[in-house]
Amino acid sequence: MTALNPSAPAKPGAAPPSAIRNLVRLVLSEYFVLVLCAVYALAMGPFVPELWSWEVASNILSDMMPLLIVAIGQTFVLVIAGIDLSVTAIISMAAVVGASVMSETNGYLSGGPLAVPAALAAMVALGLAIGTLNGLAVTRLNMPPFIVTLATRMFFAGSAVWFTTFHTSSSSIAGLPDSFTAFADASLLGIPQPMILAVVVTVVAHLILARSRLGRWIVAVGSNSKAATISGVPVARTIVATFAISGVCAALAAVIYESRMQTGSPITGENILLDIIGAVVIGGTSLFGGKGKVLWTVFGVLFLVILDTSMKLLGTSLFAIYIIKGGVILMAAVIDTLRHRILVTR
Amino acid sequence: MSPPAPLLLVEGIRKSFFGVEVLHGVSFTLGRGEALGLVGENGSGKSTSMNILGGVHQPDAGTMLVEGQPYRPADPGAAIAAGIAFIHQELNLFGNLTIEDNLFIDNFPRRGGLPFINRSAIRKSTQDHLAQVDLDLAPTTPVARLSQGERQLVEIAKALSRNARLIIFDEPTTSLTRREVARLFGLVAKLKARGIGIIYISHALDDVMAVCERVTVLRDGAVVGTGTSRDLGVPRLISLMVGRSIETIFPQRTAPPRPSDVLAVTNLGQPGVAEAITFTIRAGEVVGLAGLMGSGRSELARMIFGLDPFRSGTIAVEGVELRDPTPARAMAAGIAFLTEDRRGEGLLMEAPIADNAVLASLRSVANALGLIDGKRVAAASRTMAQKVRLSTDRVEDTLVKHLSGGNQQKVVIGKWLMRAPRLFILDEPTRGIDVGAKQEVYRIINALVEAGSAVLLISSEIEELMGLSDRILTISRGELTGGFDRLDFDREAIMTAAAVGADHAKVSS
Amino acid sequence: MRANRREFTLGALTAIAAASGWSVAAKAADNKTIAVLFDGLYSEFWVAGLQIIRDDLKKRGFGIQEAISDKDDNKQFEQVRAAIAKKVDGIIIVQTDSNAVIPAIKAANKAKIPMVHFNRPPAKTDAFSVAIQADNQKIAREAVLYSCGVAKDSGKKHKAAILIGNLGDPNAIQRRDGFDEAVKQFPDNVEVVARIPTEWDADKAFAGLTNALQANPDISFVFTSSDFLLPQIIQSLKAANKWAPVGDEKHVILTGFDGFPSAYELMKDKYMDACGVQNLFFETTLAMQAILDLQAGKPVEKLLLDPGFAITQANIEAKKDEMWGYTLWKQKNG
Repeated sequence: MTALNPSAPAKPGAAPPSAIRNLVRLVLSEYFVLVLCAVYALAMGPFVPELWSWEVASNILSDMMPLLIVAIGQTFVLVIAGIDLSVTAIISMAAVVGASVMSETNGYLSGGPLAVPAALAAMVALGLAIGTLNGLAVTRLNMPPFIVTLATRMFFAGSAVWFTTFHTSSSSIAGLPDSFTAFADASLLGIPQPMILAVVVTVVAHLILARSRLGRWIVAVGSNSKAATISGVPVARTIVATFAISGVCAALAAVIYESRMQTGSPITGENILLDIIGAVVIGGTSLFGGKGKVLWTVFGVLFLVILDTSMKLLGTSLFAIYIIKGGVILMAAVIDTLRHRILVTR
Repeated sequence: MSPPAPLLLVEGIRKSFFGVEVLHGVSFTLGRGEALGLVGENGSGKSTSMNILGGVHQPDAGTMLVEGQPYRPADPGAAIAAGIAFIHQELNLFGNLTIEDNLFIDNFPRRGGLPFINRSAIRKSTQDHLAQVDLDLAPTTPVARLSQGERQLVEIAKALSRNARLIIFDEPTTSLTRREVARLFGLVAKLKARGIGIIYISHALDDVMAVCERVTVLRDGAVVGTGTSRDLGVPRLISLMVGRSIETIFPQRTAPPRPSDVLAVTNLGQPGVAEAITFTIRAGEVVGLAGLMGSGRSELARMIFGLDPFRSGTIAVEGVELRDPTPARAMAAGIAFLTEDRRGEGLLMEAPIADNAVLASLRSVANALGLIDGKRVAAASRTMAQKVRLSTDRVEDTLVKHLSGGNQQKVVIGKWLMRAPRLFILDEPTRGIDVGAKQEVYRIINALVEAGSAVLLISSEIEELMGLSDRILTISRGELTGGFDRLDFDREAIMTAAAVGADHAKVSS
Repeated sequence: MRANRREFTLGALTAIAAASGWSVAAKAADNKTIAVLFDGLYSEFWVAGLQIIRDDLKKRGFGIQEAISDKDDNKQFEQVRAAIAKKVDGIIIVQTDSNAVIPAIKAANKAKIPMVHFNRPPAKTDAFSVAIQADNQKIAREAVLYSCGVAKDSGKKHKAAILIGNLGDPNAIQRRDGFDEAVKQFPDNVEVVARIPTEWDADKAFAGLTNALQANPDISFVFTSSDFLLPQIIQSLKAANKWAPVGDEKHVILTGFDGFPSAYELMKDKYMDACGVQNLFFETTLAMQAILDLQAGKPVEKLLLDPGFAITQANIEAKKDEMWGYTLWKQKNG
């Protein structure tokens, strides 16, 4: 990170830089949200000294990992100008299905050597299947993504609760194997395992979106699907792929949540939808499609989690936190619009 | 005593855009109950004249009188208020609303002074107006359910509901069936009998002759002739329209077409769009396709490129049949396609030049791992930019939307040249671009053809077709109606073949 | 990062100015701080519970860090970790999920911060925490026993209905069992003719009781497993023309559970005969004592029972001050 905005160097001979000009440049920069994170954390320091402790910093990192993974999946869908509301239901469903396979009390493969790998495979397959289903409904039936994923969200959120009733009399499936629950706490070479998973997902997602043919197709479909069609882009397959990616990411997030909570609960992730979409939008990915980067989403999630953690430490009431988060997301949307306007008029 | 003032008098209208005068003093008159045909090539000034009449543009000079009163509409609303209605080629109706809502959309009658719509008044009035245009439909029918012809009648009813004294028709018959055309002409006669004046704009000269008492011909922004239909006749009209010889802006090609066929289309058919279309294009050959809007010329191109379906017939590229064409398959077979809608279908406007340039050839800019290599993207885009002489070489950070129309078109062309296509289908490649860029496009086409590729060129500008093509095919209502070799190029014959109804006469070559 | 010290300073100043706009949570500097983490404030019971804990902490001069997880067990886990990072002296928790709370207990154990479950015990685990729970069965039994006595004194044989809670909820099962134990002692006076499953759903409770009253118009003894269903019961009894105070011929012997303000009002107006009361004041004291004992290194049982009590028409004046519903009612009605 050597330059804030390599594409817009200050013109030689231009008017001397004023605070406003610099502020405009900062708002336009890709790293604006990261700078905002640092400024915010600094500003909150006097009020919440714990924010700068190692413990809270590591809490922030571990809290952000599952959110980051789903948000990255969501980024893909937003870039094609879609939206995936079903991710939280995929998380819930994957959590209970995974638990039903590996639970040591009455899992399908209880105690078997394959219990954990099979559960992981089932969770990922489920995410892939629901994501693909969303994508096919959008492309084959020509339905708006909002409606399709709203429907699958309700269907699978309900199914998760129903499915749980077959496996436990309690509200969630417990008794997960230690080898699975250890995942959330264990470290490899000093790095927590969920973080390794999140970093791998981030890198792979970045390569797909920024460097692969599929990524180029996704951006093309999001900015002009007709032009994409005429350029030989398999538009329908590209759309299905984004929803499938989103589904798989949601399932991977479910793995972390489930390992962390040591429980397969049908309400896992139920309330985080707005955090997910909000984080992506705060990062700068446009809800109108055609524009988005994985790195932006990393910054957006980081900002949202820092905000959330500082509020928690302050003892702010949950509802006040909702209000503040809502305000920040709205602000991000406004900045996005302003950014467009400034870029156009320059 | 002087005769009563004509319904419309237009005198010496001038208009410039960006310092270039496009209307050099246009004058014509229209009497009550009279129909005046307005013909001319694209760019001759018909649309500008009518836009001035309709209040879209304001003239720089000249006068207009409606029934002797000065008329100078500031906006389309003023034109409507003055009783001048414009029935556009693309009808301006809301498909999701009912007929009555469409009729009163901008002026719902209220109940007393209250903010409630007076439904019964609307229904009654709509019924009356529909009866006047002989349309036997309930006022509550959604417009989406109507045929194209019925929608046009609704537009006319809408004009009548606003007490139109003058109705302008722009290409009213292009999307109508024969029966609908006959019904429309009957209605126009009735309108004339009521004293309403008609201005009728069309490329279909037969239709103009059938409807209008008098015809005014425009060319290059000036009136080149006015006369009664009887005196003029179609051949005279065409020569008036075309007027001048082909200018030498078209670069000469040295290499003649080669004997091998690149494209062979056999008996291509799709109900209502194309019927038994058969033709070939040889290597190194440019085949021009002449036809009116809606004649099926763009649809034919889209079928070959796999964008639109067809029911029968075959398409073969270099002797290999293209089965179930999709754009990806057509591209694999060596076809490239430049669409007529550059902004809507050709480009990612918000993306930089480089991203647009490599979109159709991503594999060629990927590294061994299959990942897109930014350096290769930049290098390939820069090469492309030089080849098409783009105005900038900052291909990575110049957004396409910031380019001029001509440079945008060069990006689209460059994108396809990267694939070294065997067959390049160009649909209106020079629409909306300036003369300099046009010449660049012509140069690129020639270079491509001299290297042995084939080109299918679609254009509304007959000069362009004649200047670039080795052969010209004419298409009308989904059928090929004529074929002309370069030595036999005859403007009037080509226009006649393109303008006649397919059921009039099969013009043979 | 190049040349943006100015922006940085500017941004930081703006942010500080904005941040200083809201009040910072009061922190008792030298005293203890207790984190109070609730699942949600779904009924007056939870609202009252939170208020009583707040009052108690205030009286002791302790600080409080409150949070609500709104049915999100991951969020609750993060709240526990935030409390640990804040180095609170104890955590009182109403968990979202009895299994999913276990990692939070483990985290608290690791940080050596005592954790007390308020009214909802966790699932079985090796991790150590203390659960405070009302002795539902005993409280229900005592309340119903009083009502059975009323039935006996009337000299008539009464037909009875019970509204049962969600059978997945151990509290609901214990209250039902308490009811059953009591009526078994009065076979000549009370006969149970309707057992209505409500699944803790007010609409189901209303429909169930209305149907039961149609099938058995002579029902004259009703027990509800929670006071939050009282509005539906009143509506249903009114519809059956059975809503009358004690002493009236049409009076239905009514027994509640929880000790809601609405239950106190019905007791005061003599429409309700008895109500099993969870002693929230005592439960709060138990919870605080457990935290203090654990901090002092004293052993504490994993389950602490609140014996609760039954408030009846006979002891209402003597006992009402211990009834949380009365305290709330008094606040509201002056």
